[in-house]
Amino acid sequence: MISVQKLVKRYDGHLAVDGVSFEVQKGEVVGFLGPNGAGKSTTLRILAGFLGMTSGKVEVCGHDIQDAPHEAKKMLGYMPEAVPLYPEMRVAEYLTFRAELKGVPRGRRVSSVDDAMQKASVADVANTTIGHLSKGYRQRVGLADALVAKPPLLILDEPTAGLDPNQIREVRDVLRALGKDHTVLLSTHILSEVEASCSKVVVIAKGKLVAAGTLDEIQKKRRPRGVEIHVRGDGARAKDALAAVDGATRVKVEIHGDVARVACAWGKKLDGDAVAVATERAVGAVVAAGESVREVRPIGSSLEEVFAELTRAASDATDAGDAEERPS
Amino acid sequence: MRGFWPIYKRELFAFFVTPLAWVLITVFLLVQGMHFFLLVDHFASQAQVTSDQTPLQAFFGNTVLLYLVIFLLVPPMTMRLFAEERRSGTIETLLTTPVSTVAVVLSKYLAVLTTYLAMWAPTLLYLVILKRTGDLDWRAAMASYLGVALVGAGYLSLGLLMSALTKSQFLALVLTALVVLVLFILGIGEFVTREGSLMHAVCAHVSIWAHMNDFANGVVDSRRLVFYGTLVVLPLFLTTRAVDAWRWG
Repeated sequence: MISVQKLVKRYDGHLAVDGVSFEVQKGEVVGFLGPNGAGKSTTLRILAGFLGMTSGKVEVCGHDIQDAPHEAKKMLGYMPEAVPLYPEMRVAEYLTFRAELKGVPRGRRVSSVDDAMQKASVADVANTTIGHLSKGYRQRVGLADALVAKPPLLILDEPTAGLDPNQIREVRDVLRALGKDHTVLLSTHILSEVEASCSKVVVIAKGKLVAAGTLDEIQKKRRPRGVEIHVRGDGARAKDALAAVDGATRVKVEIHGDVARVACAWGKKLDGDAVAVATERAVGAVVAAGESVREVRPIGSSLEEVFAELTRAASDATDAGDAEERPS
Repeated sequence: MRGFWPIYKRELFAFFVTPLAWVLITVFLLVQGMHFFLLVDHFASQAQVTSDQTPLQAFFGNTVLLYLVIFLLVPPMTMRLFAEERRSGTIETLLTTPVSTVAVVLSKYLAVLTTYLAMWAPTLLYLVILKRTGDLDWRAAMASYLGVALVGAGYLSLGLLMSALTKSQFLALVLTALVVLVLFILGIGEFVTREGSLMHAVCAHVSIWAHMNDFANGVVDSRRLVFYGTLVVLPLFLTTRAVDAWRWG
């Protein structure tokens, strides 16, 4: 649905997007991740046909965004980051206007608008002036606008930015439902959002692509640094058992009454699979030592930490002025 | 011209839902009404007609009042067009729909021009009043309205361009007022520069004052038509270039 090749965008001598390439297949919900200022919005604006690119090639549903901008724009529904709307219009009026702009034929306009309002759950404010709506509603009106022409592809720039947790949950529910019959590319810097709604992620930092793939693939890129096991029983014995496991280094224990937390770091030689095996052995050893295991938690493998690691590596490389990967 | 109608309709709607529009219309009609009343009163109180001037000619030509009204009217009408869309970011949603830049520019321009002409429409009643009490030269009247339309069309086009150059409505207002004022002052130059000099020729060519005098006398000069044609087309062209240029900023 989307094919981006070697996309470069230069703003007054500064590279906002630097040779990014990725693909989005039909039916995928792709999270576009990156810290603030990484070039996410710029990339999405280029995909939506708002900004021009310095070099590269972008195709939306097989239409080149530069050679056939109208055809490409017809295929996508775009929601910009700030969700700009005309405050003086009523919701239904606005959506009708947008449907007309997007070339929805007159006879289908009313039903398209109703459909979009239903899907984005804004039907109850159809006759409210947009300027009077809360942030959550405005966000969903923006979503309804993206949906109104029933495009096969949705590009959403930070769809949950600035919402309170309840509103975030509402928008997320809407997104999940949309994922069933639309291809979605959504940008965010909130990782739980990606875990909640995306099947694939593309991570960029400082305008460069740092990772792309399914969530699992990305997580595998960074193996856990260690493991922490909560046990009930003799903490010292658990510590000894863990220390005996192959590859475990820097074993620590914290004892709170009859509950203890033992933790170890994995040696540098262990790769992803070996760490998984070592974790099995560690749990086995602690159980064999007669302890009751309450909780096992890998250290440093949450998506947040993977993300921080990946984007920090990219920034360091840029700062140091060389593109080589940082030895880890 | 994809997207022309919806944008045109929305622009008209957006103008008429703001209080600014109604304030402008009210003030405009009040000033014009007073202007007309004073003129008619003046002509009526003269014992005998000393010149061959008619109230109609005095209303459209030889008066700074008409000019002042247009000067005060145009900048607030055009300032919003692009500046507000850029400030609020709605330009992004607008330009990511399958519409052409030319359609966006033309629809906004024609919407504001329609509004301008609609504001003048009630003044046609003055003609009816004049017609009831005396003779009326219809051709001079038509030429006068053509003049008013052309001057407005040119200024609105300039205003649209200024609005496309900045994100601030206020700046767009000030810039438009400045450009319109500079054009006017150049026109005044016709009276202060030496006849026969290049400056004089230039000033005479752009003098709205002289133009409106001609139109009010029923003279439709092709040079004027070319001048206002340029004043409409050139800024519109530059505006489409400016709109395309933001995408490469």
